[in-house]
Amino acid sequence: MISVEILAIVVFIITYILIIDERIHRAVAAMAGAAVVVFLGIVPWETLLHHLDLGTILLLMGMMIIVNTARNSGLFEYIAIRTAKLARGSPLKVLIFFSIVTAVVSAFLDNVTTVLLLTPMLLYIAKVMRLNPVPFLLAEVLASNVGGAGTLIGDPPNIMIASSAGLTFNEFITIMGPVAVVDLVIILGIFIAVYGKSMKVDEHERQIIVRTLDGLDERAAIQDRVLFNKSIITIAFVVFLFFIHSSIGQYLSLIIPFVDPAMTLEPAEVALIGAAILLFWSRESPELIFEKIEWPALFFFGGLFILVGALVETGVIADIASFMISHVRTEGEAMILIAWFSAFASAIVDNIPLTAALIPLIHDLSGTMDVYPLWWALSLGACMGGNGTAIAASANVVVLGIAEREGINITFMDFLKIGMFVLVVTVAVGLGILWLMFMV
Amino acid sequence: MGYYTSLIQRKFKDVVGKRYESVLREYGEFLLSEEEMVVPEIHSILLPLDIFVKEIPPSLYEVLSAYEGARVSLVYITDAQVYSVISEVLSAGAGEEFMRKKEEYGHVLLNQVSGELAAAGIESTQRMFTGHKGEDIEKLASSHDLVALAKSYGSEKTEHYPISPLAIRIAQRLKKPTILF
Repeated sequence: MISVEILAIVVFIITYILIIDERIHRAVAAMAGAAVVVFLGIVPWETLLHHLDLGTILLLMGMMIIVNTARNSGLFEYIAIRTAKLARGSPLKVLIFFSIVTAVVSAFLDNVTTVLLLTPMLLYIAKVMRLNPVPFLLAEVLASNVGGAGTLIGDPPNIMIASSAGLTFNEFITIMGPVAVVDLVIILGIFIAVYGKSMKVDEHERQIIVRTLDGLDERAAIQDRVLFNKSIITIAFVVFLFFIHSSIGQYLSLIIPFVDPAMTLEPAEVALIGAAILLFWSRESPELIFEKIEWPALFFFGGLFILVGALVETGVIADIASFMISHVRTEGEAMILIAWFSAFASAIVDNIPLTAALIPLIHDLSGTMDVYPLWWALSLGACMGGNGTAIAASANVVVLGIAEREGINITFMDFLKIGMFVLVVTVAVGLGILWLMFMV
Repeated sequence: MGYYTSLIQRKFKDVVGKRYESVLREYGEFLLSEEEMVVPEIHSILLPLDIFVKEIPPSLYEVLSAYEGARVSLVYITDAQVYSVISEVLSAGAGEEFMRKKEEYGHVLLNQVSGELAAAGIESTQRMFTGHKGEDIEKLASSHDLVALAKSYGSEKTEHYPISPLAIRIAQRLKKPTILF
């Protein structure tokens, strides 16, 4: 007789295979899997809402509204042109500056939109420079994943971890921020060492490149100057709110006496407040903006949470946790195991469903050990694991998809060679930094 | 198509949807296309002048100076039809007077533009004759690589018509790359 645990595992595995293969839309696969476990009563209605992590879903929704409203102003194109001009025709500087800009933007806005809007510009510059665009594209992808690792809102795995573990924006900045910066420097070093010699243009060519790029008018990219200014101000305000979201009561109570100094704001609340401010201030049509919310992505997350909820309800996660506890003696060992396992598993599965599955496992370990360092190990592994293969993170798929449409062939092995190397180095270095922070 | 390529395409479609098309449209408004990126070889430039071309914008000199080593042919054409109408309707003397004043203005304009071109580091030659503006420019254009045509060539610009009818007609008929300024 098939037990309910086996049934939950089978549905989970089939759904994850469908997500990896993507013959069926990932959102549909996740929803279908969730529908099966709900239909079979594995996840009853009373616990369904508990498993749906609204903190993650609402934070993503709020940021999607902000990013899509800001996008209408031409903000991203403006940044792309300014970055291109800053490089003054040097291919190496193009690679470095675009990687840094991609990492910084990805740290505060979503990776997919960042690479979607920067990649066409990068391809254009590579065409102007008559250089192979592949190193530039690979550096952009890796920088996006590493930059996203540095903040709470930078990458979906971090959003999920923060929402579930109640971690703050400042904790992410202070713990994962340095890891991201060091790893970005290492990646740039690797690229300079590997591709530096092939990225040379003579002075005459450089002058032509500079002249062509100087011909681009960044002001022409701004479609709506007023919206552009309002977007920048709102994004800056939202980032500021993220910095103080865990202690906002202390500041507000100084101005508004009835506010409880202990009051805090959840990251999702900050994102939705920012979205409301921008929508109200910009007077952009809400119908058009709400249409641009990536509903399939939100339903994908919803489906995943219920699927993983089925494993929690049936005790599968608890069983894995107790197996782990019996084999792992210290937090340090658990950190190493989680970081490396999540990194390599993310490279195969995609880091979002992997993180969804590992979060309840870490919660279950909390009875026997201090799991605080483990959250960071998961964040490190899931985010840096996104660099491992072509399908490990959404940003990779976007850049490779664009490249393919533009006739640039980056094979699975092309990506794997550099991606796996970067994965191993960045996780090792990141783990070393986390070890120094928590274990020494 | 291999499994990997089709997998990337499926995932791309699911993650991006139709957003990439709109991004390309937005970029297309200010990035050069493949065709536009090929810089044509320009050795000779035809720059027609007449009484309606009051001044040449400095930005045109900047653009022309980008074509290193190119020589500009300045051509001032007086309309032969106008000359013959004046001569027939008024008198031959009036026609001669019209021509004298036109040529006088033409020399001043040619020298002025030639001087400005020289200041921008561009070599130029001058030519002045009586003829049919539209047809003669078409003929001359065939022996040049680029034509720089004033929007006011042939008649005054108006608020409603920022390009003169003659300039539009010439630009439509020319087979050579044309800068309308």
